[in-house]
Amino acid sequence: MPSANAQGRTYGTGLAGQSRRHLSDRAIQNLFIWPTLLLLIAMNLFPLLYSLYLSFTNFLAVQNKPPGWVGFANFGSILNTPDMWRYFATTGRYALMSVGAQTVIGFSLAMLVRRKFFGSGLITTLILVPMMVSPVVVGMFWKMIYNPNFGFFNFILGAGDPAKGVDMLASKFFGVSTPGLALFAVVIVDVWQWSPFVMLLVLSGLNAIPEYLYEAAAIDRASPWFQFRRITLPQVAPLLLIAVLFRTIEAFKSFDLVMGMTGGGPGEQTELIAVNLYRQAFLGSFKTGYSSALAYIILIIIIAASNMYIKYLNQIKGEA
Amino acid sequence: MATIELKKVEKRFGEAYAVKPLDLTIRDGEFVALLGPSGCGKTTTLRMISGLEAVTGGKILLNGTDVTWKHPSERDLAFVFQFYALYSHLSVRQNIAFPLQAQGMKSAAIQKRLQEVVDILRIGHLLRARPGKLAGGDQQRVALARALVRRPAAFLMDEPLGALDAELRESMRAEIKNLHIAQHATTVYVTHDQVEAMAMGDRIVVMSSAEVQQVGTPVEVYYNPANLFVARFIGSPGMNLVSGRLSGGAVQLPGKNRYAVPAAWNKALAEGLGGQEEVVLGFRPEAARVARDGALAGEVYASDMHGAYTVLHVNINENEIVHIRGDRQESYAIGTSVRFDLDPQMVRFFNPRTEEAVRQEAAR
Amino acid sequence: MSRFEERGPRFPVAHPTRVDKVHPRARAARRVVAFVALLVTIIMLLPVLIMGITAFKTRGDVMVSPPKVLFKPSIEGFVYLFTERAVANAARLEVLEKEALEGKISLFDRIALASGQEITGPSSYVFRLLNSVIIAGISTVCSVVLGLFAAYAFSRFKVPGKDDLMFFILSTRMLPAVVVTIPLFLMYRQLGLHDRHLGMIILYTVFNLSFSVWLLKGFIDEIPKEYEEAALVDGYTRLQAFFRIVLPQAVTGIAATTVFCLIFAWNEYAFSLMLTSQRARTAPVSIATMMGRGGIEWTAIAAGSLGFLIPVVIVTFALRKYLLRGITFGAIRG
Repeated sequence: MPSANAQGRTYGTGLAGQSRRHLSDRAIQNLFIWPTLLLLIAMNLFPLLYSLYLSFTNFLAVQNKPPGWVGFANFGSILNTPDMWRYFATTGRYALMSVGAQTVIGFSLAMLVRRKFFGSGLITTLILVPMMVSPVVVGMFWKMIYNPNFGFFNFILGAGDPAKGVDMLASKFFGVSTPGLALFAVVIVDVWQWSPFVMLLVLSGLNAIPEYLYEAAAIDRASPWFQFRRITLPQVAPLLLIAVLFRTIEAFKSFDLVMGMTGGGPGEQTELIAVNLYRQAFLGSFKTGYSSALAYIILIIIIAASNMYIKYLNQIKGEA
Repeated sequence: MATIELKKVEKRFGEAYAVKPLDLTIRDGEFVALLGPSGCGKTTTLRMISGLEAVTGGKILLNGTDVTWKHPSERDLAFVFQFYALYSHLSVRQNIAFPLQAQGMKSAAIQKRLQEVVDILRIGHLLRARPGKLAGGDQQRVALARALVRRPAAFLMDEPLGALDAELRESMRAEIKNLHIAQHATTVYVTHDQVEAMAMGDRIVVMSSAEVQQVGTPVEVYYNPANLFVARFIGSPGMNLVSGRLSGGAVQLPGKNRYAVPAAWNKALAEGLGGQEEVVLGFRPEAARVARDGALAGEVYASDMHGAYTVLHVNINENEIVHIRGDRQESYAIGTSVRFDLDPQMVRFFNPRTEEAVRQEAAR
Repeated sequence: MSRFEERGPRFPVAHPTRVDKVHPRARAARRVVAFVALLVTIIMLLPVLIMGITAFKTRGDVMVSPPKVLFKPSIEGFVYLFTERAVANAARLEVLEKEALEGKISLFDRIALASGQEITGPSSYVFRLLNSVIIAGISTVCSVVLGLFAAYAFSRFKVPGKDDLMFFILSTRMLPAVVVTIPLFLMYRQLGLHDRHLGMIILYTVFNLSFSVWLLKGFIDEIPKEYEEAALVDGYTRLQAFFRIVLPQAVTGIAATTVFCLIFAWNEYAFSLMLTSQRARTAPVSIATMMGRGGIEWTAIAAGSLGFLIPVVIVTFALRKYLLRGITFGAIRG
C-alpha cells in the first residue's frame, strides 16, 4: 500500500510487476530446448536406431531389394572374421602409440613454455597451428613430405638415393620391407598434430598451481625432482588423464588422416577400423547391413570409453 | 636467536617504489609487526628479508652477516604463509619432517625434533592425516610446526591468520604469541589488522604507500602517532582529526567551536607549526567526554552501543563527524545537542601541511 | 656461486622475482629454455612451411630429388587449382602464343600456356570452396544460436533429466562419423537431401550443437545468476534479462564457441565425402582427390591446402584468446 514516510516521500506505489503478457519460465524453457533436442533426436538418435535395425538385416544400399532379416548373422560374421580382429588390433596399436607419444611430448612442451619469456605467448599460439589444419589436408601434405623421391623426410634422414632411402608409406626402411612402418608414419603425423592439444591442457593445469607452494619449497631447499613429483605432477595429473582419455577416443575414430595419407595401405597396414567401415559401407558392394553391425560394435566400444571419460570429468568437477 | 638489520632496503619497479629505502633493526627475541593497508609494502619487505623477493637496493643482515643475496633456504629463516603452503601429497608428519630431511639430518634426530614440535603445538593426533583434510586452524598449526622444527634464527609470518574465521583468529593469535614468548623467537609478522598488531607486537612498524610511517611500541603508536596516517589507522575507530585555525591561544574549529589550547602545548605549537595558523586537532574517542557545560558542542548523528560504553557520532559542523564516548547510562536521540570536553593530557596536534605530529618537548 | 652471494646481480632486478632466480645459473637456464622452445616451434611448423613453399613451386620444381629449397616462385599451383583447362591443339597454341607475345593475355593464361593448355573456366574447386564457406558459415551460426538458447535453459532452469540429457548431447559428439553416416545416407537419399546444401548444413549444425551446448553451458554457468535475478525483481521479463544481461556477458564464450564450430565445420571431411557428390561437396574432399594429367598434382594440392589453411590461421590468431579459453574450458569443464 503506498504510504508517505516522515519526509513525505511515497513508497510502495507498485511500479513493479507490470502486467504485460510475457512468456513464463516454463514456456521459455521449452522454447529454448526443444528445437535443439528435436534436431538431435532426428539426426542422431533416429539414425542410430535405424542403424541398429539395419545391423540385423542383409541390406545392400545399391540394390533395391527391401532389407531382409538375418538376426545376429552380421555380428557373428564380423566376430569370426580374423581380418576384423586385425583391424581392431591395428587401431588399438595406433591409439596406444599415438596417445602415448602425444602425452609425453605435449607434457614436455607445456613444461617448456610455462614460464614467461620473450615471445612465449607467440610461440604458444604458433604451436597450435598443426591442430587447426584439416586432418585430411595434413595427411595429404605429409604424404608429400614422406615421398621417397622428392619428400623432405627422406632427404633429412640423409639418404641421397631414393631407392635406398626410407619409404615410410610403403613400409620400406632403407630398402628393407618393414611392416608396421607405415602405421608408425601415420602415428608420427597424428602426434605432430595433437601434441599441442595436450600441451594446452597441461599448461592450464600448470598455470593453476599457486606460486606459494614453490616458494615454500625454495625455503625448504627442495630438489627440483621433489618439486616436480610432489607439487607439479599431482596438480597436473587429472588434466593429463582427461587429455589421454579424450585423445584415445579420438584415435579410435580416426579416419580423415589415414584417408588423406594412405587410404589404408600399403596392403592393410594402416587400415584402421573406421576406414574399413567406410570401405564396407560406401565402396564396393555397399554392404549396409553388415557395416551397420560393425558400426555398432565400434559404437559400443566408444560409448564405454566415453562413459569412463565423462564419469572421470564429473569426479574432477566434484573435487574442484 | 637473531638480530635482523635492514639497511636502506628498497624495491623498485621501474620508476615506482614498492618499498622506499627502509632502515630497521629487529632485536633478538623481538616480535615486530609490519602493519599497514594493502599495497603499502609490508609483504614485499617481509619477502625481501626471506629472499622470496630480490631487493633493488640496500642490505639485509642477519646477526651481522650479509644475506641479501643468499638462497632463501640458506638464510636460516622460516616463513609461514597465509595459505599454509603445505605439500598436499605428503602426510602431516612428512610435511614437518621435510625441511630437516632436505638439510640431511639423520632420522633419529628428526624424530626427536618432530616430537618436540608436535608436543608444543599439540598436533600429535594429526600426524598421519593429509593436510587437505584438516581444518584451517589445524593446517596453520602444521605450517607453524614446519617452521618451528627448523629452529631458525627468526620466523617470518605473512598474514598467517588471514585465511581463518574471526573466532579462530583470536585464539590462534594468543597461541602464536605464547609460542613466541616460550621460544624467545625473533619474529617478523605482517598484518593489515591493527588490532592484531597492537595485541601481538613488541614494536609495530606502520607502513603506508611504500614508506614507513612510524616505528614504535603499541603504546607509543597509539598515544603518540607520528603523523595523520598513523593517527587515523590505529584504533577503532581511529583518532578524530579536525582542522582548525590557531588564534589567540585557541583553535578555531569549523562551526562555532573554539578549543582553548592547553598551556603545555603553546610553546610546542609555536615552534612546530612554524608560524602558520592552520592546525589539526586530534583526540581519540575516549579522550572526549560528554559534559553538560563542555567546551565543544555538536549534534548527535548516530550512536553505537558497545556494551560497556556508547560511541556517539557527533556532527560538529555540517557533516563533520567526530566520535566521542558517551555516558552509557544515558540515551541520546538523533538530533540531540550535546556538549563535550577533551582530556588535555590526551589531546594531540598535527601540522596539516607536513601531516606530522607536533611534539611536545617531553614527548620526543 | 659465492661471488653472486656477495655482490648480487649486476643490474637491479626491477620485477618481482626470487633471489635464487636472479642467480646467473638460473638466468642462463632460462635462456636455454627459450632457445629450445624456439627451436621446437620451428620444427613443429616445418611441415606447414614446406607445404607453403610447395604451393609456389612449379610442377617441375616439386618432383625433384633432393628437394629444392631455393627456387623461382610461381603461381602455377593456384592456376591449376582454380581453373579448368583443356589441352589446346597445335593451331590454337600458335594463336595463343602470338597473343602472348603481344601481351594480350593474362598472367594466368600464360602459365597454362606453358604446359600447352588454355583456360576454359573456373574449376570445380572454386565451387567447392564456395560450398565450404556457405555450409560452414551457416551451420556455425545455427549451432551457436541454438546452442546458446539450449545452454541458457540448461544452466538456469531445473530441466527434468538434465544430467541425462547433457550426457546424451555430449555423447553424440563421441560418435565416429561413419557410424552415423550409414543410416543418414539412406535417410537423405529418401528425403532428397543427399548432396544438397541444406542436408549438409543441418548435419553440421547438429554435430556442432553437442559441442556448443556443452561449451556455452559452461560459460553461462560462470555468469552469476544474481544479475538476472536482480533484473527480474526490477520488473524485466526473463527474455529481456536474457538478451540484455546474459548475452553481453557471454560474448567471450560465444566467440570461443564460434571459433571452434567454425574450425570444425570448415575442416570437416568424412561427412562431406560420404554424403555429397557433385553439388554440395566441400573443399577438403576436393583437395584430397586432385588428380591431374600426370598423376597427383602436388602444387595444386599444396596451393589448395595453403589457401584452405590460411583463413583458419587468421581466425586462430585473431581470436586466440578465446580459442585457448575454449579448449581448456571445453575439455576440463566437459
